[in-house]
Amino acid sequence: MAKITDKIKEYTRPGYYEKFDYHWTMSIDLDRCTGCGACVVACQAENNLPIVGEKRFKERREMKWLRIERYWEGEYPNLKLKFLPMLCQQCDQAPCETPCPVAATYHNQDGLNTQIYNRCIGTRTCAVYCPYEVRYFNWFTYTWDEPLEQQLNPDVTVREKGVMEKCTFCVQRIRMAKDKAKDDNRRRVKDGEVTPACVQSCASEAMQFGDLNDPNSKVSKMTKNKRAYHVLEELNTKPSVVYLQKVEKHD
Amino acid sequence: MSISVGDAISSFKIPILMGVMVIFGFGIGYLINYTFFSDRSPVQPINFSHKIHVTDNNIQCMHCHAYVDKTPSAGVPSVKKCMGCHKAIATDKPEIIKLTEYWDKQEPIPWIKVHDVPDFVYFTHKRHIKAGIECQTCHGPIETMARVTRVSSLKMPWCVDCHTEKQVENGRDCVTCHK
Ligand code: HEC
Ligand code: HEC
Ligand code: HEC
Ligand code: HEC
Ligand code: HEC
Repeated sequence: MAKITDKIKEYTRPGYYEKFDYHWTMSIDLDRCTGCGACVVACQAENNLPIVGEKRFKERREMKWLRIERYWEGEYPNLKLKFLPMLCQQCDQAPCETPCPVAATYHNQDGLNTQIYNRCIGTRTCAVYCPYEVRYFNWFTYTWDEPLEQQLNPDVTVREKGVMEKCTFCVQRIRMAKDKAKDDNRRRVKDGEVTPACVQSCASEAMQFGDLNDPNSKVSKMTKNKRAYHVLEELNTKPSVVYLQKVEKHD
Repeated sequence: MSISVGDAISSFKIPILMGVMVIFGFGIGYLINYTFFSDRSPVQPINFSHKIHVTDNNIQCMHCHAYVDKTPSAGVPSVKKCMGCHKAIATDKPEIIKLTEYWDKQEPIPWIKVHDVPDFVYFTHKRHIKAGIECQTCHGPIETMARVTRVSSLKMPWCVDCHTEKQVENGRDCVTCHK
């Protein structure tokens, strides 16, 4: 009993999250985003996401860990289009983690909101609780036709029907970077050693990825930018994805 | 007044006998399955013996499993590596003739995997070897085996128990092993 109360004290202490080993964070500069969709394709390829096809898409069964949302503003001649790449925000106070009856999704010491596929029993509660709508449920078991299965990434599990999935910040690449750091007898991964697939593929370098606990990392500097904000900040989910506002001309 | 147990069951003699036979049969079947057909010790396409190579002829593990300290998987040697020695050694033995056939056909030997963790698990040999764990801790006395037998369960408690004992950093975090 004393153990449990100690744990509760530790976890509710203010600033607990600053004590994480790492605090993986992504920054997305909306002023640089052109909405090209390279990140979406890169994510699809890296993480063994199925192509669901037109019919399933219409039934809203699409699988995309990263999607580009479009916002139209104004009337026809003065029409403006804005893009917002939306992926799992890896919230520090994630609404999706608490309701899982089997604790298949939890927060790890690196500030990642993880999903353990084989623990998941598919209640879909987490998806309901997620305000960003970035959790995707496998309604079907998808297969890859003959030569295509060769391009599956062996470092990522191929999910089956009945499992919830979402962006992992390419945890397999984080794992590899840590492995390399251990080989070089370093305790920590250097800034820039981990690049998720979407960040790597971004042509305009709108996305940055790194450790927020390291004050000299690129992301840390980005988050101090005046334009930085979180999506749905008022919900107090403390997302790990930081957006930088689009610069607009005001007349 | 007393009831004799013998009298009570004597009228059910045949069903009871049949029950005992069935249980006995299952037991024998299980033992046969366990010793001859279990996946702990499958019969390999070539009767390769670690005892002959490691104990009798003193060949190092790393000579054949060359990637064990460099990559996640240890790897099984190619036919070319076998032929490096067996072009000259024991060429008249039936097993080596079989080996030479694979070499002539330029085909890999279809070894049956003995140690296999499911695809959703990330296991890496490199980290464990670099941490100084002996092969025998996990694989048992391979050097005495005429046929490879799996001695560890390779189930999750087996991994996590050792990680807890050795206090591996983040060794109990699910995404360390689950991908
Ligand atoms: C470093 C040299 C070397 C390599 C590499 C090697 N062997 Fe051998 N192998 C030997 C020696 C030495 C013997 C013992 C020969 C004897 O006792 O006559 C032997 C014996 C054998 C035997 C037993 C032959 C018998 O019936 O007595 C088999 C089967 C065999 N090796 C298969 C293989 C296979 C398969 C490979 C490839 C994975 C391989 N060997 C790789 C050196 C080697
Ligand atoms: C001459 C080459 C050679 C040497 C030396 C050798 N091995 Fe092997 N090993 C093989 C081959 C070939 C196989 C695959 C055939 C089999 O499973 O029997 C194998 C299989 C294995 C397997 C089982 C693989 C599976 O399918 O799960 C283990 C474990 C293993 N070796 C460990 C060792 C250890 C430990 C040593 C050192 C003590 C060692 N080996 C030395 C050639 C070698
Ligand atoms: C921490 C425990 C552990 C240690 C130490 C260990 N192994 Fe393994 N080994 C495993 C597990 C678990 C597997 C199954 C891996 C898989 O299915 O991907 C395996 C598989 C293998 C295989 C099968 C081929 C493969 O790569 O999947 C070989 C060969 C092998 N080990 C050789 C060795 C040798 C040689 C050593 C010592 C230098 C060693 N192992 C040390 C746990 C261990
Ligand atoms: C005999 C003890 C032992 C067993 C059994 C064992 N491990 Fe480990 N494992 C270790 C040790 C010690 C380390 C620490 C290596 C280091 O810190 O470099 C480690 C490290 C690891 C790492 C790397 C962690 C990191 O952060 O770099 C992974 C992944 C791992 N083990 C997976 C497994 C899996 C999966 C199994 C079961 C199939 C398993 N281990 C069984 C002792 C063991
Ligand atoms: C040290 C490595 C390791 C860690 C840490 C670990 N697992 Fe596992 N887990 C395994 C291995 C290996 C298996 C495969 C066992 C088998 O062969 O059935 C497994 C299997 C499972 C299974 C069974 C899947 C099935 O279909 O049989 C579940 C569920 C599971 N793990 C959940 C978890 C959860 C939840 C955590 C975090 C609290 C966790 N694991 C942490 C190594 C690990």
